[in-house]
Amino acid sequence: MKEELVKIEELIRSFDDIDKSDIKGLMQRFFTKLSNRLENYVGDYPTFIEPVYLEDNVKIGDDVLLGPNVYIGANSLIQDYVEISNTIIFDNVKIGQNFKLENCIVAKDSSFNFKNLNIKSSVLIGAANSKDELQSIKF
Amino acid sequence: MSDKEDKTIIRIKEIESINLARDDIRDEVIETKKAVERDNDLLANKVHQSFIDNNIKSFDIVGAIGAGKTALLEKITEKLSSQYRILVICGDITTRVDADRIEKHNAETIQINTGRECALNAYHIHKIIKNKDLKNYDVVFIENVGNLICPSDFILGTDKRLIVVSTTEGEWVVEKHPMLFKMSDIAVINKFDLKERLGTDVDKMISDAKKINPKIEVITTSAKTGENIEKLMNLMGL
Ligand SMILES: Nc1nc2c(ncn2[C@@H]2O[C@H](COP(=O)(O)OP(=O)(O)OP(=O)(O)O)[C@@H](O)[C@H]2O)c(=O)[nH]1
Ligand SMILES: [Mg+2]
Repeated sequence: MKEELVKIEELIRSFDDIDKSDIKGLMQRFFTKLSNRLENYVGDYPTFIEPVYLEDNVKIGDDVLLGPNVYIGANSLIQDYVEISNTIIFDNVKIGQNFKLENCIVAKDSSFNFKNLNIKSSVLIGAANSKDELQSIKF
Repeated sequence: MSDKEDKTIIRIKEIESINLARDDIRDEVIETKKAVERDNDLLANKVHQSFIDNNIKSFDIVGAIGAGKTALLEKITEKLSSQYRILVICGDITTRVDADRIEKHNAETIQINTGRECALNAYHIHKIIKNKDLKNYDVVFIENVGNLICPSDFILGTDKRLIVVSTTEGEWVVEKHPMLFKMSDIAVINKFDLKERLGTDVDKMISDAKKINPKIEVITTSAKTGENIEKLMNLMGL
């Protein structure tokens, strides 16, 4: 599982020439190996559809639905009314209120400081204070 | 599913307290509640069609907390798993206790933790089957969150719904919870082995169920002794 994760992180490192042909297969392989880990989050009983793997100290808001196939890196923040499936979120990411992510990858240290986004099959990177500032690549 | 259909399907949430809504938003709350129910039914139909297309027999098992839903599923999967490829979806507020119990009998399991929601809905099930190759299964069981109230709001798109109560809840449990009996195909009165000790009037439970829903099949079982488990499986067409 960690092996694919490292590869995926490597793949999205240079935002301008991501090899899109690789992403889907890699994610698929990662998800078939994904196990459950729900012990170490901070929050109030979200809805989980397994498998969901949370690294340490993930903060989860109210009315959140995670899964199936969700990996969230350490110290990330998932705010209220968020829904995420088939998605990899790396460490230290901030997801805004009422985001809906399906089949996405969110790069390390990304921070989205706005509400309401519905996005599929995309790589998201960086900091954004509005939808217009969002950097994303569809795959 | 087309993008357009997908867009019409909004996150399904329960909106129960219409009478709490202020006058100026009352209309909106009612419309939203209706839309949510409609979307659930729409999705449930899709789920059911996927099951049918893949020749899967599917069951939604609802019932009282601790009535024996998991214990019955353990018995049933134990008998079936050499013959059928089984997927069991378990709904609980939290933990993986039920899925772990059933997995011991060679069935694949998926746990849904509903958190603060008191029932599974068709959106949860649809999320799961979107990610599964249904050709790999012959039978799908869905164990709903234990309670006799919330699951009546959401059909899941299965062939049949079973409602499980037991002798320990007392003989009034059926008449006090008519909704789910109305919507179910088979009523199981479990823990029959405890009937004498508890003095529960099981005949009353049976006749109440029939009164509420004349079409419902009623069966008494014991997941402990195995009594009538085969008969229950026959009723389910397994
Ligand atoms: N005596 C007796 N005990 C039973 C029977 N069926 C289940 N039990 C016991 O009742 C308890 C609850 O059973 P479960 O199978 O966990 O019930 P459940 O309906 O799945 O419960 P929830 O999922 O928590 O709502 C367990 O201790 C079982 O061993 C039965 O037929 N007879
Ligand atoms: Mg159970």
